[in-house]
Amino acid sequence: MADPAVASGGSLHLGGVREVYNPAAMRFISATSKTHCFVPRSPPDISEIGRCAKAYCEHTARSLPTLPDTVVTLVEMGFNVDTLPVYAKRSQRMVITAPPVTNQPATPRALSAGQKRTHPSHIPSHFPEFPDPHTYIKTPTFREPVSDYQVVREKAASQRRDVERALTRFMAKTGETQSLFKDDVTAFPLIAARPTTIPYLSALLPSELELQTLEETDSSEQDDQTDSENATGNNISDDPGADKENSMLPPGGVAPAAKASEDNVIDNPYLRPVKKPKVRRKK
Amino acid sequence: MNRKKDKGFESPRPFKLTHQVVCINNINFQRKSVIGFVELTLFPTVVNLNRIKLNSKQCRIYRVRVNELEAPFIYNDPTLEVCHHESKQRNLNYFSSAYTAAVSAVDPDAGHGELVIKVPSELWKQGDDLKVLKVYIEFSLDQPKGGLHFVVPDVEGSMAERGAHVFSFGYQNSTRFWFPCVDSYSELCTWKLEFTVDASMIAVSCGDLVETIYTHDMRKKTFHYVLPIPTAAPNISLSVGPFEILVDPYMHEVTHFCLPQLLPLLKHSMSYLHEIFEFYEEILTCRYPYACFKTVFVDEAYVQVSSYASMSIFSTNLLHSAMIIDQTPQTRRCLAQALAQQFFGCFISRMSWADEWVLKGISGYIYGLYLKKTFGVNEYRHWIKEELDKIVDYELRMGGVLLHPTFSGGKEKDNPTPHLHFSIKHPHTLSWDYYKMFLCKAHLVMRLIENRISMEFMLQVFNKLLSLASTASSQKYQSHMWSQMLLSTHAFLKSISNVSGKDIGPLIKQWVDQSSVVKFFGSFAFNRKRNVLELEIRQDYTSAGTQKYVGPIKVTVQELDGSFNHTLQIEENSLKHDIPCHSKSRRNKKKKIPLMNGEEVDMDLSAMDADSPLLWIRIDPDMSILRKVEFEQADFMWQFQLRYERDVVAQEESISALEKFPTPASRLALTDILEQEQCFYKVRMQACFCLATIANAMVSTWQGPPAMKSLFTRMFCCKSCPNIVKTNNFINFQSYFLLKTMPVAMALLRDVQNLCPKDVLNFILDLIKYNDNRKNKFSDNYYRAELIEALTNSLTPAISISNEVRTVDNLNGDVRLILEEITRFLNMEKLLPSFRNTITVSCLKAVRQLQKNGHIPSDPSLFKSYAEYGHFVDVRVAALEALVDYTRVERCATELQWLLVMVQNDPTHYVRHKILGMLSKNPPFTKTSDSALCNEALVDQLWKLMNSGTSHDWRLRCDAVNLYYTLFGLTRPSCLPLPELGLVLNLKEKKAVLNPTIKPELGVGAGMDTAASIGIHGVGMSFTAVDEEPDPISLGVCGVGQPPQGLKRKAETPLGSPPEPGQILQQQDDDVRDVRGAGRYKIRFNTMEEEDIDMETVHDSQAFIHQHLNLLERPSTPGKEPLSVEQAMLSMPATPVPSFSKETTSSSSKHGGEHGGHHHHHHHHEHKKKKKKHKHKHKHKHKHESKEKERERDNSHAYSNSPASGRSLRSPSLSD
Repeated sequence: MADPAVASGGSLHLGGVREVYNPAAMRFISATSKTHCFVPRSPPDISEIGRCAKAYCEHTARSLPTLPDTVVTLVEMGFNVDTLPVYAKRSQRMVITAPPVTNQPATPRALSAGQKRTHPSHIPSHFPEFPDPHTYIKTPTFREPVSDYQVVREKAASQRRDVERALTRFMAKTGETQSLFKDDVTAFPLIAARPTTIPYLSALLPSELELQTLEETDSSEQDDQTDSENATGNNISDDPGADKENSMLPPGGVAPAAKASEDNVIDNPYLRPVKKPKVRRKK
Repeated sequence: MNRKKDKGFESPRPFKLTHQVVCINNINFQRKSVIGFVELTLFPTVVNLNRIKLNSKQCRIYRVRVNELEAPFIYNDPTLEVCHHESKQRNLNYFSSAYTAAVSAVDPDAGHGELVIKVPSELWKQGDDLKVLKVYIEFSLDQPKGGLHFVVPDVEGSMAERGAHVFSFGYQNSTRFWFPCVDSYSELCTWKLEFTVDASMIAVSCGDLVETIYTHDMRKKTFHYVLPIPTAAPNISLSVGPFEILVDPYMHEVTHFCLPQLLPLLKHSMSYLHEIFEFYEEILTCRYPYACFKTVFVDEAYVQVSSYASMSIFSTNLLHSAMIIDQTPQTRRCLAQALAQQFFGCFISRMSWADEWVLKGISGYIYGLYLKKTFGVNEYRHWIKEELDKIVDYELRMGGVLLHPTFSGGKEKDNPTPHLHFSIKHPHTLSWDYYKMFLCKAHLVMRLIENRISMEFMLQVFNKLLSLASTASSQKYQSHMWSQMLLSTHAFLKSISNVSGKDIGPLIKQWVDQSSVVKFFGSFAFNRKRNVLELEIRQDYTSAGTQKYVGPIKVTVQELDGSFNHTLQIEENSLKHDIPCHSKSRRNKKKKIPLMNGEEVDMDLSAMDADSPLLWIRIDPDMSILRKVEFEQADFMWQFQLRYERDVVAQEESISALEKFPTPASRLALTDILEQEQCFYKVRMQACFCLATIANAMVSTWQGPPAMKSLFTRMFCCKSCPNIVKTNNFINFQSYFLLKTMPVAMALLRDVQNLCPKDVLNFILDLIKYNDNRKNKFSDNYYRAELIEALTNSLTPAISISNEVRTVDNLNGDVRLILEEITRFLNMEKLLPSFRNTITVSCLKAVRQLQKNGHIPSDPSLFKSYAEYGHFVDVRVAALEALVDYTRVERCATELQWLLVMVQNDPTHYVRHKILGMLSKNPPFTKTSDSALCNEALVDQLWKLMNSGTSHDWRLRCDAVNLYYTLFGLTRPSCLPLPELGLVLNLKEKKAVLNPTIKPELGVGAGMDTAASIGIHGVGMSFTAVDEEPDPISLGVCGVGQPPQGLKRKAETPLGSPPEPGQILQQQDDDVRDVRGAGRYKIRFNTMEEEDIDMETVHDSQAFIHQHLNLLERPSTPGKEPLSVEQAMLSMPATPVPSFSKETTSSSSKHGGEHGGHHHHHHHHEHKKKKKKHKHKHKHKHKHESKEKERERDNSHAYSNSPASGRSLRSPSLSD
């Protein structure tokens, strides 16, 4: 817990960090408050004048400073008050003209999001109004998903079709093709028929997509199957003589018969181990 | 009729086989070769057994030993080349008889064989005590074309990794193709089978696997099988491959094998096999006869199902996953068929070919019982109707199918089926279509027997046969019980009469001993006064394929008061039958009408005739006659029958009848049926198509949306948006099948312009668009394929402006949409292939249809690429079908050539068979039409194909014969050049005389054809001039006429006739006599049929056959008076071509003897010159001697030259 390396690494230990540095912070804070007291007063400023005038006025138990208070203050500060009117009436005085009145820029209307809500009945009317709705109401920034069945089906259909078409077109473009027309060989490109060495495999085995669908539709059945396969797999490994080929013979444990007679091992001549040649049988 | 009445089985052989060892010790997948030996244990049944005839084809035989002694042998296969190849004969009658003769000559059922072994004299001298003979034969097979099929995918890796496998196959008894044996179903013996294969492979064969032992180098292992149950050689099989093994979880003695990676499919597909087992064992009350059962699934299978003793070989394409609906019942059916044949066909074997129907009938019948149990009575009755329709259609079209042919002596009985272009004497000469119909009829007849004697008795009979056989099978050979395992027609009938006590003789006579079916026409009238139904049943028994029926017939009449069965007697001259009606015509208002099954229903009787109480009438409702019934009743009666008769057969019949009544009432009845959930789905499917037909007929008055559209919407579309189909859920199979069918039927609708309505097309396109299978448990590949088929059905011919070339631009808008869908489907299939590539198959059909209708350019190249080896077989067949169609439509010679080349070279037997089958079904031209394609080269090519090119496959040869028949008919093809007679005249007199007999006229009897073929030899002068090895006969012609310059006389002439002018006259006389002689022989052959072949006089069967065929083939001699020859020929009786039986030389005259010699020369042309010299010096009389010597020499040459022959070099000649 007190390991500094860990502490510095994790934000969780921030409390520890504060503890460590607190004294210094305190010192810093007190230092700043002291310097504030010694702010030099050499350039007397308007606020200081006001403050002093106020002080004089309060000193005489009044609440509002009067001109004499200000004069006293200025005198106190060493100003020659008499020069003030002269200064004010000097000839080179710069006159600052009033800023030209420009067209008040129309304040853009606050983006109204939703309807402003009025107070519910339990809130007295004197309470402030609700703020603009965007500050507390979520504003949907996406479109509501379409849940209409027809549209969904339509969309799914056209999507699939588009994907299929694009895919087949791509395949057709990148590979060899056959055409139904002589004049325009690109019109209805057919992916060229290519003989395979073992054609029955692809024709008989379900494609991965189909298998996937099957899994989705009823995973329970699949589970059963894998369970039983595991079980029978164990059965077989019990048999020491089973060779490599035999190991891939789960005799489909689905059968209750097989399960019931688990103890008596299936005696099938094709599962028996291959004998070593000892003495060749005389024919 | 002349059935043998003897109980026991008489072997045609002078020995009995008791045991056979087959040992194949090397199978080379690389070279596709096999080496092994067989050892047959024989018991001679005659005192001096000096010759043993065995069957063997293709095998190269290295040595033969009998009891350790080297034995000489001759190996000769006359079926290799049926008519020797120089023959210019081109008529099918001639070929058929020659082929039958060739098959007969080696027929094991007659005791013949290709391999003749001479028993060493040391053995037969001491043979008095009938000692056991052990015949040991070493043989090899190199790239076998038949019998064994190697599948070796051309990829990297070891053979096991490549999934290479080999299996035996064949049509009927074809085991001789892969090892020497007695290839007969009636010669039973026990077996020991040994196969040494690569350690990564498994050899599956018949019997029990006793042990598997590694070879010494541990790289191979030997599978030892023992089959203790006596089994015929044709029931032995083998398959070797890197199979995955699945022990059946329910029955551990049953093992399934499939090719690598397919195990999950195998597991699923085999998961119900035990139910089939249980079913058969239960109904037959008999255990499965063998100790084990094996199923093997192989690629490129010859047929889908083939059963052998204790194992069956299936096509791997039957395997499927749980997601596939349509394949499931089909695979189950195949398994059930295979298993039924295990009992009847494998375990119980047939006694002779004539008894085949019993076994096929029984196995088909019990298979039917399985169908009934598994798929329901509706399905069963539907199937029976389907089968009945099939056989009736075939027989009416092609002529009768005879189940039990008898060939006993009688002159007219010689050819019981003269209407056929092939002989039914042997299984190997049968057309495949005929054989399929034969199977169909056999099980239907079994069902008829069941109708007669009841199922209980029927099963008792089967049980009895099986018990007898299993008792016999456990006996030793010496007990002579084994013949109990053979079933003959007689034994079967006897068993039936013993068990049931009923006489089924008339039934057998009608359907088994006689071919053809019955054709009834029925009509009726109601006699109101007498309240009688006057039924008239007429028969057509004069057309081809029909026979007269006399006997009982059941008629069911549905009246207002109920359903009544009547049994009428069909007699010779009675057509009318009066049936009293039970109901009064006055209508009982609001009364329910009782049906046959006891149900009572309300009917709307307003359509009915007020006077008649008849609702509908059915003739022979139980299908207890093999018949076709054309019955006339009013449309409302058919509609009642459709709505209220509960029998699916009746419903289907009424649907087909309603096609002729396009009325709103019919429409309503059909629509109601379509909607009725309880109705059998196949009836509903049929109703769809009928509705389409009716709608088209009613097109001008049709009201409302296109037929079935609203129905479909109601059944399958979303409630909220009726234009979108629901996402797929095929859990209800009935609606699944309806879902598939309705669009296909709807696409057949046409509007007034005879176009598919726009509505319908858009509807189908929408179905495709919105098809969504993501949530479905089942694959939708068949559904999608049907949708493409629907698109195809919607196509109508393009409106074409003259013969403009079809381009993309002038593509019709609708067609463009269709084409886009097809393109997309076809392309997607490459990325995500569907089960059995059903979608590609449908797309190819669609493309062909587009081409045919002129929407896109007709072009075969796409189909050609899909037809190539390496595509899935269904795809190939679809592409080939399109090509066949293209060939016909475009009359394209190059495509026809391409197809024929594929027939010769394709590695897959099934595809070859299929091409020929499709060409016969959809021929580029026929015998009645002229075509540019029909030319001499094609005739020669096809002739060669059937003559020698297909000798390795019986089925293929018969297919080729079929095609030849379809294209050219029975007679000499019309496109061949004129025979020499006309030409000789032309040369000499500068005048063309057409021989009237050349013209193939269909009306002319077969006898006439024969006459023509005898007299006319198809050698045109021009032909001779280009022929490299001129026919001797034609040379003879040249000699007489003006011999063209530069024509070598290298062949010898028949009759040993050097063309000397002085000889001509005499020769001609001879010839005339010959011709007449041939006519005479015919009769003699028949009478001498029973005579056994004599080994001493006739040394080899081929020579023998040729000798006889020669008589037929003899050319007419060139002569100055050809007309006289003609007359001689014409005067011959117009009898059909005789079937040539084995015959002795003694039956032929000296001319025949002379001819015997000349035929051998065709085997060795290189020797001709030498001998010619020799011959010139001799006169007729001396020729007998020389002939003998020549023949010896010929034999030796023939054997060494023949590609598929072997001969022991060390051994002395047989004829010594």
